Amino acid sequence: MSDETPLLDELEKGPWPSYVTQIKRAAKKKKAAKDLLGIQELSYKDRITHWKHGGIVGVTGYGSGVIGRYCDQPEKFPDAAQFHTMRINHPAGWFYNTKSLREICDTWEQYGSGLTNFHGSTGDIILLGTTTDNLQPCFDALTEKGFDLGGSGSALRTISGCVGQARCEWANFDTLNLVYDLTMEFQDEIHRPRWPYKFKIKASGCPNDCVAAIARADFTIIGTWRDSLRIDQAAIRNYVDNGFEIKTLIVDKCPSGALEWDDKSKELKLNAEDCVRCMHCINKMPKAIRPGVDTGATILVGGKAPIIKGAYLSWVLVPFIKVEPPYEEIKGLLRKIWDFWDENGRTRERLAELIERVGLKNFLKEIGVPPMPQMVYKPRANPYVYF
Amino acid sequence: MGRTDIGPPDYKDMLPPVIKKNYGKWKFHETIRPGVLRHVSESGDELYTVRAGSPRLLSIDFVRDICDVADKYCDGYLRFTSRYNIEFMTDKKANVDALIEELKRLGLPVGGTGNAISNIVHTQGWIHCHSAATDASGLVKAIMDELYDYFTSMKLPAYVRIAVACCINMCGAVHCSDLAIVGVHRKPPKVDHEKVLAQCEIPTIIQSCPTGAIRRHPDPNVKSVVVREDLCMYCANCFTVCPAMPLADPEGDGVAIYAGGKVSNARKPPMFSRMVVPYLPNNPPRWPEVVDIIKKIVEVYASNAKKYERMGEWIERIGWEKFFKLTGIPFTEQHIDDFTHAVETYRTTTQFKW
Amino acid sequence: MQEEITEELKNKIIEYLKTVSKAKNKEVARAIDADKHIVDKAIAELSKEGKIEYIYLGASFIKLKED
Repeated sequence: MSDETPLLDELEKGPWPSYVTQIKRAAKKKKAAKDLLGIQELSYKDRITHWKHGGIVGVTGYGSGVIGRYCDQPEKFPDAAQFHTMRINHPAGWFYNTKSLREICDTWEQYGSGLTNFHGSTGDIILLGTTTDNLQPCFDALTEKGFDLGGSGSALRTISGCVGQARCEWANFDTLNLVYDLTMEFQDEIHRPRWPYKFKIKASGCPNDCVAAIARADFTIIGTWRDSLRIDQAAIRNYVDNGFEIKTLIVDKCPSGALEWDDKSKELKLNAEDCVRCMHCINKMPKAIRPGVDTGATILVGGKAPIIKGAYLSWVLVPFIKVEPPYEEIKGLLRKIWDFWDENGRTRERLAELIERVGLKNFLKEIGVPPMPQMVYKPRANPYVYF
Repeated sequence: MGRTDIGPPDYKDMLPPVIKKNYGKWKFHETIRPGVLRHVSESGDELYTVRAGSPRLLSIDFVRDICDVADKYCDGYLRFTSRYNIEFMTDKKANVDALIEELKRLGLPVGGTGNAISNIVHTQGWIHCHSAATDASGLVKAIMDELYDYFTSMKLPAYVRIAVACCINMCGAVHCSDLAIVGVHRKPPKVDHEKVLAQCEIPTIIQSCPTGAIRRHPDPNVKSVVVREDLCMYCANCFTVCPAMPLADPEGDGVAIYAGGKVSNARKPPMFSRMVVPYLPNNPPRWPEVVDIIKKIVEVYASNAKKYERMGEWIERIGWEKFFKLTGIPFTEQHIDDFTHAVETYRTTTQFKW
Repeated sequence: MQEEITEELKNKIIEYLKTVSKAKNKEVARAIDADKHIVDKAIAELSKEGKIEYIYLGASFIKLKED
């Protein structure tokens, strides 16, 4: 067949770095990458995918971490006929030393297509494209280097979190340590799928939620604080003296009207009781305003994409919790939620859908969390109450 | 058999020395130019971060290239962001310009900070997915080529988060982005009866359908299912549980565009993205119709929103009727929700604009 | 709050698995009337000892390892 890829070549033009160039680079060394290029060109011509449903492939002892993938044109593309993905659990925060990255590259040069994603939507390192026979030796080589598979299928998925205290002054708890600790505690749950469907945990250190935990995780941990903002009035004045329009850009945009600018005393006044800790003033005046010191997190549950009953944002389960090692309270809560879901959930029913079906009231009772007004925007309007 | 359940490497072994030393002690940060952050610690230490965009799909030789850069300027450490940007960190200010030069040589844009359009979060598409209704990487490349200047500058009212999902499974949950592009089908599954018998469980298929469109085949001798086409909204959940129910179709497939979502709690609470364009055709390799409309929405937003106002906050303030008027996008019957929780979206007030 | 993983518990699991072709973790826990999380951990240990193996047929099951 022809080596030409006129359609994909169009995607090597333009200023943004091209993934086609990346595939071509891998194709110089690896036949699988060359065939992937051919398959992609064919999809561009036919306007349809040429991948089939995955079969059950994996490594010994695990039920997750490998996504089986087969091309529907194996005769045309024999070197990418089997093109399985391996999900490799990333180090928390996606920090790497180059030694480890090079070891992954060397292993993948030996056993795979030479193509990767840093990272996939799950947060894992994605090793894209290998054969069934290469899965086990590749896994063994990776564990030699200290890496392990992530989650897939009806399992606990790879846990991820924001950069946290490693490089952010707004992290209200140590996201990296929590992510790592939970990941190590729940290896069995990650590697051996046995639930109704997938379960995701994500942690953001502050309400800016840089890893979109509220939209993407069944169990969402978002850092917050209970006491007052810390305001450095001298630093505030410095902003104002440099032309920063504090009235329109900060005070008027405070969602709960908790701030006031006193033009005479040149002071930003806070009614701490009214602050809802949204982060706006902190984001825009990072040198002058900081979160409080009584820090912890809000736990929310239920976030997911539309399949199948529509999309959900996570809703408040525990308004405030301290987040400190060994995180027993959070682990206990997770185990209770999993027990309830595993017993009552239907096949492919995510936690949010189960809670909607049985009612939040019953869910709270089952897991032993008392109702609080912070859990709802407003109380019910109808009179149909079970007593 | 090798070791199992060892978990990922400890993050502490992956942190640059200056971060290890100042862990939890950062005092403030600022963006000193597009793509360059300066963090200052209580200890007085400084950390400079240079952020570069990447195509996400990387060859291992390219990964080795960026390792070389990190070895040369960053003590052998680097990190990735959740939007596939590569971050090079150094405590030496003098390294920043050299780093930027080096990244330029590798063809990588520096930016994605502050009021910019960062890299597009996306899925596998035709590169690796059996259920893709569109490609992802190519669509992203075409859009980012057009929006390149917004990545390398910070001239927008607020940042704009864009996401692409190649089908409505939405791996990566694009449903709370300022702009979301989602692959959609428009034709019901074509049932392969022999394959159903061989590979699928009929009760599972029937149960998978959220609208009850799938029934047992009326002929009891045919162990398969039929689809009531008037009830099917092409979600492909049946295809996920049974490969004998494919929906992909070159003429039927394409993308829908959603706008106005956010996950941050800053000012307004998080919100879902809402449909603005129900369908555009798959027109590879560069999807010109999609690129044009995305650019148009960004430009209308950029020239109309107030400072610090996210896309969704702007639309909420001016009203959706005004959004459709300003962008010139037609409002159609497909925009009106008829799935779960639809009634919540119907307007129950006499307040609106013309 | 958690009980210990004892040899007795592991033996109970093995005895139960002798009576079925395969089982889910939660079925084992129910059958031997033990805390599910302890059973999960005991099963993971038994797997590492090579006495049982995991099989995956849509969901995770365990069975006695065949020699």
